[in-house]
Amino acid sequence: MMIVNRFPAAGVLLASVVTLNFSMPGPAYGQSAQAPASDPTNAGKAVFSRANCAGCHKWHGNGGGGYGGDALSLRKTELTRDQIIEAVGCGRPGTGMPFFMRGAYDEVKCHGMNRQDAGAQMPPEGGTFLRPKDIEAVADYVIAHIKGAGEPTYAECVAFFSNTSRVCDVYKTQAQKPGDATVSTGKGQ
Amino acid sequence: MERFSGHTKMLTRACRLAVAVAAASVVGALPVSAADQVNQERLLNVDKEPGNWLHHHQNYSAHRFSTLKEINRDNVKNLKVAWTMHLGGIEGGGIWSHGGLEGTPIAENGFLYVTDGWGSVYKIDAHGGRGVLVWKMDPKTDRDWAGAVACCGVDNRGVALWGDLVISHTLDGRLIATNKETGQVAWQRTVADPDKGEVITGAPLIVKNMAITGVAGAEYGIRGWLAATDLTTQKEVWRTHTIPGKGEPGSETWKDSNNAAAAGGGSTWVTGTYDPATDTIIWGIGNPGPDWDNAYRPGDNLYTDSSLALDATTGKIKWHYQHTPNDPYDYDSVAENVLVDVPGPSGPRKLALEADRNGFAYAIDRTNGKFVWGLPFVKKVTWTKGLDPESGKPIEYDPNKAVQTYIASVTPSRTNMETDICPGNMGGKNWPPTAYNPDLKLWYIPVIESCNRIKVEVMTPDKLKPREFWTGGGPSQPFRITGSVTAIDVTTGKIATKMETPFPNLGGMLATPDLVFTGQPSGEVHALDAKSLQKLWEFNTGGGVNAPPMTFTVDGKQYIAILVGLGGAWDKWFIDSTPELKKIQPGSMLYVFAL
Repeated sequence: MMIVNRFPAAGVLLASVVTLNFSMPGPAYGQSAQAPASDPTNAGKAVFSRANCAGCHKWHGNGGGGYGGDALSLRKTELTRDQIIEAVGCGRPGTGMPFFMRGAYDEVKCHGMNRQDAGAQMPPEGGTFLRPKDIEAVADYVIAHIKGAGEPTYAECVAFFSNTSRVCDVYKTQAQKPGDATVSTGKGQ
Repeated sequence: MERFSGHTKMLTRACRLAVAVAAASVVGALPVSAADQVNQERLLNVDKEPGNWLHHHQNYSAHRFSTLKEINRDNVKNLKVAWTMHLGGIEGGGIWSHGGLEGTPIAENGFLYVTDGWGSVYKIDAHGGRGVLVWKMDPKTDRDWAGAVACCGVDNRGVALWGDLVISHTLDGRLIATNKETGQVAWQRTVADPDKGEVITGAPLIVKNMAITGVAGAEYGIRGWLAATDLTTQKEVWRTHTIPGKGEPGSETWKDSNNAAAAGGGSTWVTGTYDPATDTIIWGIGNPGPDWDNAYRPGDNLYTDSSLALDATTGKIKWHYQHTPNDPYDYDSVAENVLVDVPGPSGPRKLALEADRNGFAYAIDRTNGKFVWGLPFVKKVTWTKGLDPESGKPIEYDPNKAVQTYIASVTPSRTNMETDICPGNMGGKNWPPTAYNPDLKLWYIPVIESCNRIKVEVMTPDKLKPREFWTGGGPSQPFRITGSVTAIDVTTGKIATKMETPFPNLGGMLATPDLVFTGQPSGEVHALDAKSLQKLWEFNTGGGVNAPPMTFTVDGKQYIAILVGLGGAWDKWFIDSTPELKKIQPGSMLYVFAL
């Protein structure tokens, strides 16, 4: 809370810090994920990782219950692009969904409220702040790759994490599992 | 020249290694006798080497009591930082933005062995009043794989020693044996499977050439187990599931038609204890799953929420004592069982003490699993009026009911979908260990004085998916949570003293003849008077204390050591109950104190 109050005064400085952050390695996780270079939503996927959206919504966006309460499913969401942008920027008052826009509820009103109006409904502050372009990018990524998708697949998982971790193995279908030794031997030869 | 000398050095090192390997195989064939070889004799007689700390819980009985008294109530005010060491392992992975430190250092002959959250093992030379890193073994844990199904943080609670090996676990399910001298991995074995939601956070318990491994994952639909690995053959000796298979005794306590038992939880992620007199391992068993929808799994759900006694040689279950049948609260009984002998009306009483997440402290006769006494150790309990004085079961427990409601107005259920419980689901006490002073017969509990709010989600079999939460709801934190150190007089089964603290106790306890050491997640390490619990010394580490203190000697001098780095479940799931802790930064640091 203390930190947030300092923001208006230090806006310029922070902006440069934030810019600097973008060129630094973010969380190790997801950084190696390489979608095809032509995918215009790659930037959004990087934001999804950097802002730790996966911390609650999971890499696949399905969210779910558990210790963290109930992060909504982005696969089943009916929010529009604009609504997603608002939810990311302003958070969702009264829930655990944080706000990621610098100055939200201070310099910029959210849902018509400042911090005082929001009171106990004030959403938590995200672990990183995102610039408007980043927020648009992550919304585009959610729309293109997550919203409306069915059950998570192996291909989707590998596209997110690359294949350096065993995190995706559980999504392999029977045909993709290492039991098919003949297939891999054949390839090797 | 540079290159040449480097080459020579490499060759020399290779030769040395070859000699070391040859020597090791010769030693391996001989009876273990060297002073720095850990064997069963030494593990059974740790009181003969008070300057070392050889067990995770200090001794097989989990006393976490040291007889060292160079640091005592008269001089503890002069305790100062002797040295510190920055460790690693705070990187994120899976659903976690960072790791933390929950381990207990092991000390042997002036060397410390500690772990970070991702399971790297550090050997530190503590001679000469400073710490020097001898080696670090990085197991290269698959962070995304394991971190995505670690319910409660990137945690590793430490190592054990055996022969010339350091035995450790990794979050991604491995048991690793590292050569104590070289830091090279001697062998490793996969014990748990993160594809099934299984991860390992606890330290191994070594009994008779076996490493006993417990598992975490009751929030991810696992069927819990304990596994014993032979440290010579590297093969599994036994694996005992904590939830009986179809037709086995106890399977009748899963009365549903959903096959709930197959994903029924019952994890074992806190290191247990061992009673050599009866060759019995006693281990705490975690909650049933789904955590908060107990109508999904009617019946008592054995052996969840129980203290379980197993034959150490075979893994066969000897007895159990269940604390919260058909648990609707997530009240694990995963805590360590502290083995104590106290005078009783007809000779010495052999007890197993357990401070349960449900807010009650229990003494069980460890020869037969019968209830002796129990009492609330937290200030506020709302889910039951108390324990039946004969059976120790919650008074409202009705063995004829398939779904327990206890005090129904506060109990999460399908007809009470949002409700507040005290203690909160993180418990009156979580994994941070207690300590026991056998001279004073006082048992010190690190307490979370808590309530929280539970929202129930009705579960159906189609919601059970690999590597996804299987909790039947979730907690939120609308109430401030504080803490205490609560001392129980084991001879009477009554609270002797309570020292309240502004924050929950997330680190655990160390007892010495006239002192108790502990810490706070806001950064302070405390020394308290063993009887009055009056604070005698305090040092602010500037990090969050999330691990228990221990003590050892080197060069004849006593030190207190503690790992500092707030991680675990608290700062992701429970932080709203302690808003001041939001400013505590992730960290990874070993503090060592001396006079």
